[in-house]
Amino acid sequence: MPPLPRPRLPGPGPETLSTLARLLAGGVFAASGWTKVVDVEATVRSVRAYDLLPESLVRVTGTGLPVLELGLAALLLTGLATRLAAAVTALLSLAFLVGVGSAWARGLSIECGCFGNGGFTSNPVPGYVREIALDTVLIGLAAWLLRHPASRFSLDGALRLTTAPTPRSPAQKRVLP
Amino acid sequence: MTNARTARSARERSAVLRAEAARREARRRSIVVTGVVAVVLAAVVGVFVLVQTLQRDAEPAGSATPSTGANGAVTVGQAAAPVTLVAYEDFQCPACKQYEDANGAQLAGWLAKGQVKIEYHPIAFLDRASTDDYSTRALNAAATVLDLAPAGYQRFHDALYAEQPAEGGPGLSNERLLQLAVAAGAPEAQAKADIDGLRFKAWTAKVTEDASKAGVNQTPTVLVDGKPPADHSPAAVAAAVTAALAG
Repeated sequence: MPPLPRPRLPGPGPETLSTLARLLAGGVFAASGWTKVVDVEATVRSVRAYDLLPESLVRVTGTGLPVLELGLAALLLTGLATRLAAAVTALLSLAFLVGVGSAWARGLSIECGCFGNGGFTSNPVPGYVREIALDTVLIGLAAWLLRHPASRFSLDGALRLTTAPTPRSPAQKRVLP
Repeated sequence: MTNARTARSARERSAVLRAEAARREARRRSIVVTGVVAVVLAAVVGVFVLVQTLQRDAEPAGSATPSTGANGAVTVGQAAAPVTLVAYEDFQCPACKQYEDANGAQLAGWLAKGQVKIEYHPIAFLDRASTDDYSTRALNAAATVLDLAPAGYQRFHDALYAEQPAEGGPGLSNERLLQLAVAAGAPEAQAKADIDGLRFKAWTAKVTEDASKAGVNQTPTVLVDGKPPADHSPAAVAAAVTAALAG
């Protein structure tokens, strides 16, 4: 008896969903990294406005962050080292979430600077809500990618770094590592 | 039949082994690639930070600090005036123009009567609002006036707000900035060299950074004896000044 084909659920498979997750997260980081890198000084100022980091780290963070985001975007859009990219995405989004949440909790009026403009604004709450929602979505996408790193149209796939799950015959015992 | 079953199970077993080996190989390659990518990503970020830092710390040749307002604060009015009004402004900032247009007359009155002195902190953080870094060019021109004809600063300041360019397009040309600087009293030849050569550019970056470090993240930031007025309307500013004069 040939191995039974795995039952296919209706709708796109996990590899297709992973591709969409990559492109979505990669697109967000490409946009936010680009707006930050074209005005590094403004990014440094908006990092400072959050008043979370000591002055000695403000400049390094504000300068490094845009490039990190662009690098992350490149990895996600091309599908290279997807697990690593997903892990960094999750950590970075979590850091942003904490930053925005704490700015809100402390009653700072920051125009979040998520997409580059960091300044103060008289009505920051819609921006905070938007940013928290965005970070939550990004963390969700990263969690999905950590669990399903294999995706279509990815360099990981082209380099055969991810394998499609091998179909198991019903008789096969799980091989313990 | 037994033979057939044995052959099939052997085939299956070897297929499973091959799949296992392929998965192990993929895993090994994946670890190597992930490591290389992590190192490259860290290196790219590190090199960018290093280059930016070195570039920033390198003072461009011929850069200078204006003789007046070196620390970024330009005081206008009588030194003995009892009330100090601090104003952080960007020459490209539309809200600053609104504030100046609405309050210019009463500010001039208080200055003339010696009731208020104004401590201007001009900064340049809106370069992206114009197509030609007007924010920095305007502040550099203001520094030129401070350096060459400090008495003309208020006049130059007022002229820049009167002629403020709209956001999204080009700012005033260097020629126009020069005309206004000369009208404020700066000698033409030196002013032209300073404006065209952005001689005070490093200073514009420094005073902008200093304002950010002082917690100023929006313009205009107005403080009357250290306290912000309720808003920037003439009535609110007048109320703050009256209270400060009484207090």
